[in-house]
Amino acid sequence: MTGNIRRLAGYLLLSFAIVTGGLTWWQLVDAHQLATRPDNPQVIAAHRSALRGSIFDARGTLLASTTVTAGLARRTYTDSAFSHIIGYASLLYGTTGIEHAYDDLLIGQTDPNPLRNLLDDVLARQPQPKDLSLTIDKRLEDYAAAQLKGVVGAVVAIDPVTGAILASVSTPTFNATPISGDPATATAPMAAIQANPDKPLVDRVRQGMYTPGSIMKIVTASAALDSGTITPQTTFPDQPKQETTGFVVDGFTIREHELGSTRPALWDLSPALQVSSNIFFAHVGLKLGGDRFLSYAKRFGFCEPMQIGSGDRAIPVTASYVTRPASGGGCSPFSDDVELASAAFGQAQVTVTPMQMALVAATVANGGVMPAPYVVSAVRAHASNPTRGPSATILQQPGGGSGHRVISSTAAAELRSAMVDAVSGPIGRIYAGAGNVRLYGVSGVATAGKTGTAQRSGNLPPHSWFIGFVPAQGGATPTIAVAVIVEGGGAGSGEAAPIGGKVMAEWLKLAAAG
Amino acid sequence: MTIAWRGTELRLLLPVLVLVPLGFALTHVVASGRLDPGPLGLAIAYVALVVAAHLALVLADHRGDQLILPLAATVGGVGLVMLNRLPQSLTGVDLFGLQLGMAATQLAWFALGLAAMVVIAVFLRDDGALRHYKYTWAAAGAALMLVTFLFGAERYGARLWIDLGPIGFQPGEAIKIVLVIFIAGYLAEKRALLAGALRQVGPIKIPPLPYFLPMLAIFAIVMGIVVISNDLGTALLFYGIFLTMLFVATGRRSYVLIGLVLFVVGSFVAYQLFGHVQVRVDNWINPWADPTGAGYQTVQALYAFGRGGLFGEGLGQGLPLIAGQLPIPAIQTDFIFTAVAEELGLVGAFALLALMAALVVRGLRVAILAHDDFSSLLAVGLTASLGLQTLIIVAGNAKLIPLTGITFPFVSYGGSSLLASFVVLGLLLSMSHRSAAEADAAQASPA
Repeated sequence: MTGNIRRLAGYLLLSFAIVTGGLTWWQLVDAHQLATRPDNPQVIAAHRSALRGSIFDARGTLLASTTVTAGLARRTYTDSAFSHIIGYASLLYGTTGIEHAYDDLLIGQTDPNPLRNLLDDVLARQPQPKDLSLTIDKRLEDYAAAQLKGVVGAVVAIDPVTGAILASVSTPTFNATPISGDPATATAPMAAIQANPDKPLVDRVRQGMYTPGSIMKIVTASAALDSGTITPQTTFPDQPKQETTGFVVDGFTIREHELGSTRPALWDLSPALQVSSNIFFAHVGLKLGGDRFLSYAKRFGFCEPMQIGSGDRAIPVTASYVTRPASGGGCSPFSDDVELASAAFGQAQVTVTPMQMALVAATVANGGVMPAPYVVSAVRAHASNPTRGPSATILQQPGGGSGHRVISSTAAAELRSAMVDAVSGPIGRIYAGAGNVRLYGVSGVATAGKTGTAQRSGNLPPHSWFIGFVPAQGGATPTIAVAVIVEGGGAGSGEAAPIGGKVMAEWLKLAAAG
Repeated sequence: MTIAWRGTELRLLLPVLVLVPLGFALTHVVASGRLDPGPLGLAIAYVALVVAAHLALVLADHRGDQLILPLAATVGGVGLVMLNRLPQSLTGVDLFGLQLGMAATQLAWFALGLAAMVVIAVFLRDDGALRHYKYTWAAAGAALMLVTFLFGAERYGARLWIDLGPIGFQPGEAIKIVLVIFIAGYLAEKRALLAGALRQVGPIKIPPLPYFLPMLAIFAIVMGIVVISNDLGTALLFYGIFLTMLFVATGRRSYVLIGLVLFVVGSFVAYQLFGHVQVRVDNWINPWADPTGAGYQTVQALYAFGRGGLFGEGLGQGLPLIAGQLPIPAIQTDFIFTAVAEELGLVGAFALLALMAALVVRGLRVAILAHDDFSSLLAVGLTASLGLQTLIIVAGNAKLIPLTGITFPFVSYGGSSLLASFVVLGLLLSMSHRSAAEADAAQASPA
């Protein structure tokens, strides 16, 4: 039995060693990661009195800054149009948006330079807070916010080439300053915000999940053109008759929701997009097939969560879906042809975020390459007097990384031309003409766009959608792509299209003024 | 006759004499910001108690192991320093109008525990009472468990307390010792039969069932009650002790493997059946799924480990408050090791575990030197109870296994646990003394 006891001693000592290994993992290997998590009481305590870096817009206008008085840090935000994308840094409610993603740099817990980080660790030096510059121009942000005044919705604008976000507005917005200040006085304003039935805390650009309606036809057309399923000249033989009687798929009749003053005709891509024919795109979807449709949608970023920026400091964007979400993540397969045909014109189970749809527009604008979106252009040394603008010392330029090709440049060019027709063509101007920048004082520039009127269940008024980009004439490099949604705003042409047109026109004017 | 002066024991107690008052003084300096030692009454009382226990053993001419008391006293000293550092209002006792804070209450239990240890070590000269009435012990244990289940008070979601006026008593701690006595008695008697003739059934060898059944039946009853009363930690500990003793008695790894397989199957069934088991396991897999609710304790414990790092934040300088509260619930009992690891660092945590490992090794040495199978198995079971208890709670704190509520021997706040641990030491010392006395006798009268 002595031998058994000796063996037992060996096993027990081995177990002690294993437990010791586990402790080493938490206390040494993983310690830094644990010590910097925002809900760690140490971090909360440090934040209470810690100076926090400032945030500036693309032109150096101050958006957020912190002052420390009597051991309590107070965060001040200058512009509530930025409340969603910047978020808040509250002692009570944690951090959101950029404040959350860049928390470690803003608070000065880490340095973007790994070598300096190591040096700080070794010398037990406290790194200084860092300031951030955004890609967003406050003038465009405020302009977009003004267009959304009084309605519930979102505007997101993006540079189609670089992926830089130019504006990101969600309404209703909220004032982030009181909830970020003294914890003792933060609960009442937070309760008021939370009591608002329109849910001001939700960033509709990133977290709003909407039925897209006809703007989805751009995804369908992209897939069909790139895969060779259709050419811009393809027509479907039964179209004219179905325009009046409906297109029966597996016993389910697809009808045009609105035909306006047009009459049935044999349409190819351009006029079909101009009148926004559901039947044409139902045919396209069925010809494309569910698997191919899904695979193109995934290349556009559907079915998985997206992000703004990259790496550890990415800001999450809710996943958009073409079909019902699968239980293990991703999109489940189409259940039948009815669902496929309906998804092809943006109904059935399709749900999208405005960010996703802005990227669809940007992809077409950028010759078929989807840019990687980003919103922080520079990490800078802390400016001690932020009202005088950011420090000249740039520590890091995060950028958005390289984009990825979704469709061929040929397919993108064909689609761009059809989207210009959708705004300016003989029939298209009736539906999406309000998105034309010419109406808002910018001439000599072609506008590409597509409206959406997303039907909702019950008797709720449809969501009003618009996506588009300028300048869209052949050979021009587009400088802005937008997605606009007005919740319950009715037809896309009525509410969303003019806002999209105005925001794009404003950006062209700001760029021309320099 | 020469007196055993127990010099090794005395020398090894010297660090305790220094460290405990130093720990109290340091806690006071950090908390008050003043450079004076502050009130040292409890620290001096602790040191005096430990020295008194040592002197009692010397006076009784006790020949038992000289490392056991110093090891336990050092571990206990760290625990008392930690309990003194935590807010005294966390718990405590109102003893008929006499208000005792947490550290003071624990010290009272230390006194009781050390006294029990000395009494058992000195006066238990013969283990016949333990050996011969094993079924009575088993019945008493089962009855005690049943009483707890029927009449016990429920605290922290588990029914394992019996309220006795101002103090609560955890019968599980007593049952643990009784169970070890029973298993040791049974295995010592049936060891040869269990270890021998295995019956070959197909590819596997099975033990002779008739010898096994009585023990398994009693054990199943105890385990069943434990599981029903929602005390998973105790269930795991009992099962571990059982397998350990079975292994030592038979030397068959296959028993342990079968036992572990049964345990896995049982755990899976428990996971499917009991909501509280599911919560524990889900929390273990990802505490961050619900970091402010079900996963709060685990998440906060891991943060404490992370803050501790290699050298710790220093006594009294860790455990930042959340809204005026300590971040980890049950910090004084189930999570005391986390507090030690945060403030004394990985170095301090290692040291504490090394002391416990050394105590385990000394306990097993007692088992090896014991004069018969029963004593040997008893020492193994008692030692395993201390070692496994330490491993289970530390592994639970560090998220290596699902968390189960169980105390860290000698460190966690709690009278029943402390008293039981010292009873274990008393039994070990008593056996150790007998082996030494027999060896002396053998030397004195050479054949």
